Amino acid sequence: MISEEFEFRAPTKLAEALSLLERYGDDAKILAGGMSLVPMMTLGLVRPKTVISFNHITDLNFVIDAKDVIRIGAMTRHDTVAHHDLIKKHLPLLATAAVGIGDVQVRHRGTIGGSLAHADPAADYPPVMLVAGAQFRIQSAKGDRMVKAAEFFTGLMQTAVGAGEVLSEIHVPKLPAGAGSAYLRLHRVEGSFPIVNAAAVIEKGFKSARVAIGGVGESAVMIDVTKHLSKGVSDQSLRAISDAAYDASGDAYGDLNGDTEYRRAMARVYAQRVIKAAAAQIR
Amino acid sequence: MKYIGKEIVGLPTRQLVAGKGQYVSDVILDGMLHMAIVRSPYAHARIKSIDTKPAEAVPGVVYVITGKEVIENMRPIMEAYDTAAMDAKSVKCYALCPERVRYVGEAVAAVVAEDKYTARLAADLVEVDYEELPVVFDAEEAMKPGAPLVEPDWDSNVMVTRDFIRGDLDKAFAEADGTFSGTINTQRYTGAAIEPRGYVATYDPYQDMLTMWASTQNPHPMRVFLAETLGIPETSIRVIQPHVGGGFGLKIPTFQEEPLIAYLARKLARPIKWIEERQENLLVGGHARQNRLHYDVAYKKDGSVIGFRAKVIADVGAPAALCGWGQSFVTSYCIPTCYKIPNCRVQLFTVVTNKCPWNAYRGYGKEAASFLMDRVMDGVAKATGVDRAEVRLKNFIQPEEFPYSQVSGAMIDSGNYPKALNRVLEMVGYKDFPKLQADARKQGRCIGLGIGQELTPEGCSMPKSTLLSGYDGCTVRVNPSGQVTVLTGVTSPGSGNETGIAQIVADTLGVDVKLIRVIQGDTDTCPYGLGNYSSRSIIMGGAAAQVAGTDIREKMFKVAAKMLEVAPADIDSEDGKIYVKGAPSRYVLFKDVASTVYRDCYGKFASDVEPGLEATRYFRHPNVYHQPEVDGRFSSYPSWPNGVSACVVEVDPETGIVKLLRYCAVHDAGVLINPLLAQANLHGGIIQGLGGAMFENLVYDEAGQLKTASFLDYTIPTAVDCPSLEVEHQETRSPFNPLGCKGVGESGVTAPLGAICSAVENALGHLKLNFDEMPLTPDRVWQEIRHAQQQA
Repeated sequence: MISEEFEFRAPTKLAEALSLLERYGDDAKILAGGMSLVPMMTLGLVRPKTVISFNHITDLNFVIDAKDVIRIGAMTRHDTVAHHDLIKKHLPLLATAAVGIGDVQVRHRGTIGGSLAHADPAADYPPVMLVAGAQFRIQSAKGDRMVKAAEFFTGLMQTAVGAGEVLSEIHVPKLPAGAGSAYLRLHRVEGSFPIVNAAAVIEKGFKSARVAIGGVGESAVMIDVTKHLSKGVSDQSLRAISDAAYDASGDAYGDLNGDTEYRRAMARVYAQRVIKAAAAQIR
Repeated sequence: MKYIGKEIVGLPTRQLVAGKGQYVSDVILDGMLHMAIVRSPYAHARIKSIDTKPAEAVPGVVYVITGKEVIENMRPIMEAYDTAAMDAKSVKCYALCPERVRYVGEAVAAVVAEDKYTARLAADLVEVDYEELPVVFDAEEAMKPGAPLVEPDWDSNVMVTRDFIRGDLDKAFAEADGTFSGTINTQRYTGAAIEPRGYVATYDPYQDMLTMWASTQNPHPMRVFLAETLGIPETSIRVIQPHVGGGFGLKIPTFQEEPLIAYLARKLARPIKWIEERQENLLVGGHARQNRLHYDVAYKKDGSVIGFRAKVIADVGAPAALCGWGQSFVTSYCIPTCYKIPNCRVQLFTVVTNKCPWNAYRGYGKEAASFLMDRVMDGVAKATGVDRAEVRLKNFIQPEEFPYSQVSGAMIDSGNYPKALNRVLEMVGYKDFPKLQADARKQGRCIGLGIGQELTPEGCSMPKSTLLSGYDGCTVRVNPSGQVTVLTGVTSPGSGNETGIAQIVADTLGVDVKLIRVIQGDTDTCPYGLGNYSSRSIIMGGAAAQVAGTDIREKMFKVAAKMLEVAPADIDSEDGKIYVKGAPSRYVLFKDVASTVYRDCYGKFASDVEPGLEATRYFRHPNVYHQPEVDGRFSSYPSWPNGVSACVVEVDPETGIVKLLRYCAVHDAGVLINPLLAQANLHGGIIQGLGGAMFENLVYDEAGQLKTASFLDYTIPTAVDCPSLEVEHQETRSPFNPLGCKGVGESGVTAPLGAICSAVENALGHLKLNFDEMPLTPDRVWQEIRHAQQQA
């Protein structure tokens, strides 16, 4: 139960929201979908003095074809990400990741921006953002900047978004023509967070190949596996990728769903599987 | 038409599906206050002092209470399961702990405020100064000499023991072709009702009447418990049970919050509400299941078991007034379940620890007994090379051997275990499975088949018990216009017995089931009864309804016989008509006979029967034995439904993920009153069983803090995680129940444990795994696989 009173603001324009953020600074928490913030407040883990809801800022709810990139507004719900034609066509792995988040209710409430800014180490989106080379637009009353995915996730539930700033949109480059991609998650029941998840993009002709794995460290880790795949997918290349995934997950944590060793072993398994699945999608 | 055996949609279903059910949370009264509980953050500590002032200073706070006021004004909470009658140690537990807390979450103070948020906020400001005391979390550690005592007044942490022996164990083990031993660990887990606990209490000082709306399974026993604990007359209490959003045994009294809120409502003379939060529910809403089971088996080459020793060590958490610890007794009472083992010894050690007390949870200890025996039978199959099913068939109590007395003295009423097993093997395609398995293996897939038996005695009847006395009452009232009101002492936690009881009364009277209204769960209107537990609502409540209905039927037949000018023996009733047997065109309408009794009691047809058409009757099961000196035995369960499941799983050896592909079950609960609702109970039970087998685990850390206090960490399966369940029923009538019924409420929850373990082992047969611990989570299965691969 949320027993402490807090101030609640619900601006309708981004500019208004940014000036509120500037005014309240660290005392304010942004409510996007509320699918993480509200449970954390209920459990007493977060006790903000002010909650600024972005739910009425309709300008941040969009999916736009902008030449080489798909621009996604931070307040776009997971269900939209999962079923939007542009995303399904140009970023099928992102749609797949969104489909597996939480349950039907969560997917209709939760937002892509909220999830990314929350930066749970096993969240569904981060590995996709890493392999797709996404850029994040971060705005404040005073500035507007773009940050690469690789620099956005800075630690356990920490991002490049600073005080007074908000993640406003995500620019995800369209996959190159003919590229193969895949997203996989290991979970226990419908609605569970992934224990480990993985995303991969492989360019046609194996010109480049990237795999990212979540749930094996403070934030998702990306590995460039182009060199391993120069001759295509083979038992040998998969073994090399698997070893690379194991090495990259040295900071894996342990919890009730699996200890460090299990997570590292799953990093191996999922790196291989996601590469195989992505390779099968190359056209 | 006849209704017994018909699939009728549950009477309250439309209301509940429409979201129009009335739960405790829907009870909103004028001037209602809200209660919040201050809970212990320590697993064992002395309360040195409590400062309530910071809480009292919060605007909107009406009252703050601590254990000091409780012990000055209330008695210890009355025990739901009488420890003295079971030679078990007891403790005095109060609505708030006065001196010492024994598990994290035990209630030490409460705040009453104008709204629930203020109550919670203020409760968090109550300052309790604790002195931490030594703790013990493992049952076997707790049994060792010198272990910290959960109760300093006890000489050990062992609360109760039993030792059942039959035959000559030494001889059996000497004559065996082979022997083996093992240990099984069943984890701590519990039910997860959609609706957590909740109460609204209000007091009218002018009538000296306390009214309590409770999400409970047992309104009448709750009234007794409240009266005893508060020291007030039962007649000054009314308990009303609105719709209950899931019980599973966990809504059986006697929780601390019950007498607490009742006391506060009387003290403040204002309505008070308390709705439990999910974290509280997982922390203190009653746990169950945690057992360590050591066993030794002596077998012959042909797979027959000739000797068996079991040592049940149950970790029941801190002792409390709740009835949960009784589950440990039931585990020992059921072993060796459906098997005939000539030389057998079962020892029970019920041990207390600094964890949440057990409360009753669907299965009530029976699941551990059946799971143990499944593991034993699979073990014998592995040791002898005899097929798993053959081993079971060889050791079953045979259909003609009932009633069969088990080593504990338990009298199993009836059953046909071989028939059910053979049928489920047919359903699952047991004979052809090895080929299927080999084909899958060629494609790199590991599939396996498992078998799980279950034996779930029902209708629990214990001596000297307020709650578990094993009888129930029913009033059948035919109204002047011919509609029927049925008031029952049993209650429904959403499982549908009101519908079954309506069907029974409809058949007894020969009327349309739509004419019957069933009223349950109100101590002011319903006959005294014990409510819902141990699948008793049809076997006890349904039988009582039939007895009461028969009284009314006989009376109405007497009147109708006069109207039809025949002897009462020559008439029958159906479809609202009372007619002459063999000449159905000669009839009087049921409603006209009712009208005659009510409106013409001095007339020629009804003058020799007593006016009114109302009967309250009680039923007790004929095969309960509480007087060993007279009966030569003690047997507390009259009804022994049973079942067998066979499932097919696919194991991903790289990840340890177990996927359930098929689940087939054959269940025998005797006569089914409503097969649709029986099926629904089986579905729910099986999914809860799968939860225990694969997902659910209440985990404590080394400081006694519960690490799984939210659904983020306590994983339960839902419908989307299960394949379509294939359930069939077999009917072996109870020879002792007038309806031939055996109870179905706890069915399905047990067999998945054995079936899943067996199937996973079978899927990975090449690794020769042995699962002796649940749940089979991906990481555990993976670890077992890795361990086996490293050994090889």
